[in-house]
Amino acid sequence: MSILTYNGSAMVAMKGDHCVSIATDKRLGIQAHTVSIDFPKVFEMGPHLYLGLPGLATDIQTVFEKLRFRKNLFELKENRQISPQMFSAMVSNMLYEKRFGPFFVEPIVAGLEPKTSEPYICNMDLIGCRNEPEDFVTGGSASSQLFGMCESLWEPNLGPDDLFETTSQALINAFDRDAISGWGATVYIIEKDKVTVRELKTRMD
Amino acid sequence: MAMVSSESTPYFPDYGTTAPRTHHFRPYAENGGSVVAIAGNDFVVIGADTRLSAGFSIYTREQTKLFPLSKTTVLGCSGCWCDTLTLTRILSARMQMYEQEHNKIMSTPAAAQMLSTMLYYKRFFPYYIANILVGLDTDGKGCVFSYDPIGHCEKSTYRAGGSAGALLQPLLDNQIGLKNMLNVKDDPISLERALAILKDVFISAAERDIFTGDSIDINIITKDGVKKDSFELRKD
Amino acid sequence: MALAEICGMQDFDTYKKQEPFDNDVYNYTNNFANNLNLALPPCPNIAQNLSNFTTDDAGREIKIKFDHGTTTLGFQYQGGVVLAVDSRATGGDFIGSQTMKKIVEINDFLLGTLAGGAADCVYWDRVLAKQCRMYELRNRERISVAAASKLMANMVYNYKGMGLSMGMMIAGWDKRGPQLYYVDSEGTRTIGKAFSVGSGSIFAFGVLDSGYKWDLTDEEAYELGRRAIYHATHRDAYSGGIVRVYHMKSTGWIHIDNNDCMDLHYKYKQEAEDEENKV
Repeated sequence: MSILTYNGSAMVAMKGDHCVSIATDKRLGIQAHTVSIDFPKVFEMGPHLYLGLPGLATDIQTVFEKLRFRKNLFELKENRQISPQMFSAMVSNMLYEKRFGPFFVEPIVAGLEPKTSEPYICNMDLIGCRNEPEDFVTGGSASSQLFGMCESLWEPNLGPDDLFETTSQALINAFDRDAISGWGATVYIIEKDKVTVRELKTRMD
Repeated sequence: MAMVSSESTPYFPDYGTTAPRTHHFRPYAENGGSVVAIAGNDFVVIGADTRLSAGFSIYTREQTKLFPLSKTTVLGCSGCWCDTLTLTRILSARMQMYEQEHNKIMSTPAAAQMLSTMLYYKRFFPYYIANILVGLDTDGKGCVFSYDPIGHCEKSTYRAGGSAGALLQPLLDNQIGLKNMLNVKDDPISLERALAILKDVFISAAERDIFTGDSIDINIITKDGVKKDSFELRKD
Repeated sequence: MALAEICGMQDFDTYKKQEPFDNDVYNYTNNFANNLNLALPPCPNIAQNLSNFTTDDAGREIKIKFDHGTTTLGFQYQGGVVLAVDSRATGGDFIGSQTMKKIVEINDFLLGTLAGGAADCVYWDRVLAKQCRMYELRNRERISVAAASKLMANMVYNYKGMGLSMGMMIAGWDKRGPQLYYVDSEGTRTIGKAFSVGSGSIFAFGVLDSGYKWDLTDEEAYELGRRAIYHATHRDAYSGGIVRVYHMKSTGWIHIDNNDCMDLHYKYKQEAEDEENKV
């Protein structure tokens, strides 16, 4: 068993036409035992910036708190909002500081660039190697299922409604084939003037 | 002559130990490959990629992983290629023996049960193969049987197996099983749509799974027999 | 033959029998002739050399994972025996199937439930079904549940310590009335009133024990079984899919119903909300 699949998670972020989505499951388990079905794994780091942390639950909370601290300090020092690109560099740097005793999370950053509203998504491995693709990123114990779903469902320039549908279908069908993730899902659609948060009705087994 | 020892290591009786020695016999190899099967009311299609690989190297780009067992039964295998060769050899011998003993060809459900029993025979040293057996049942309806390595068999109407099985199965659930879809009609799937989905999912698999690619072999089984088709995938 | 003797081959016949390629169609399918006879592992103790069997020739891990994971339960009450099971089969964390049949209909008066290795359970249940039928043909009466469960326990005991993994309940109705046995691959065989087996059994027991009475009506008994399995599927990752309920009666078994866990979840949730609104 890998420590990254100790608690179980499924997470996906997609680029659309001037919008991005990030979606996560809600389970916290200890291997097969489901402990909570309302465990936050995606965090708001700014008006157009979201951070997803699939992986080991204890490190999810630690990494989130550490990053919140660093992000706030940055914003106070610089007196400006952090952009998704800068934020993902910050995450990457922080993870690499622990190169030989890493946090067991594989973060996903999704957001819109503050000035241009360009969509931005990024994921990285547990020591902070960044990957910034043009289409979608996945993470968690259901990531191979998510890859298969996204690879077929995603297409360029999806509008917010289509992006929501694509992201939701990809996530639900992926974690329905993964034993240790699921139990509810939350989807965030990030647009220039609003962020829509939707809870999905899913299987609860 | 006493100086010549059959072992390459020198013989020092005083320094011998009884500690376990490492043996490097690893009987299994992962040769990759994916198989996808979709059944309809009067047909069944099965596709398998033609890449045979070992780790990061490719043995061949044109190895079919589909084995016709009779006019209405085809087996798709992926995993350890040497196990596949042995299994399919014994299986076709058994099919022939059945035909000569009973003067009829074994039906697909019977072949499916036989495969399960044969896989379980090797319970303690399993064949490392993901098997998918397809064919028409006695009513002419398409059926798909999928197996774990030790012969647990389940009948279904669609299945993805092999190295990209985990990537493709949720997609088939969604597109063919219509899981998590609201207000859709559950019409029986047509052959054209089955073939289109089959090709689509393999294109997706070839993008993300390094053990799947090159091209796919497709067998379309109807009451008229097995029709062969192929489709090119990316070759990197 | 003379040439063989000149060459010093005294026992030419035994030599011929050892010819390995002579008969390998039969050698690779020995269990067709004798169902109890499985191929022996290539070394006496696989567990000691396990790493050689879980990695390929280059040392990379191979994903040889068998279907497993389950919640099953069975209990006796005044109306007979109720069996309830889930339908999920997992290989590692991947859900191989959501529609597996975990109750095997051995004959009209015998049911077996499966937990543990799916292939192990299905194979040995099939062998048991054959042996029960043979018994019927030989003795002109149905086999007792005690005898059937003992056959099963003895068969798997021969392979004890070799890695079989199964925990099954055998329910039936014979001359002595309704019967429920638990048999597992360690050789345990015991009769009882209520059992739950599998990875989700602790959750199912919680519901089962709190609602169990001898005097349950049929409907109450089915609902208890269904609810116990549903709660197990909710908390246990390796259980899920469909809840199947069977009832063993004096006239043989009947299949009560199948319910999707998703429908059950939202039904029970709605019922709980309605209850709350009433108060």
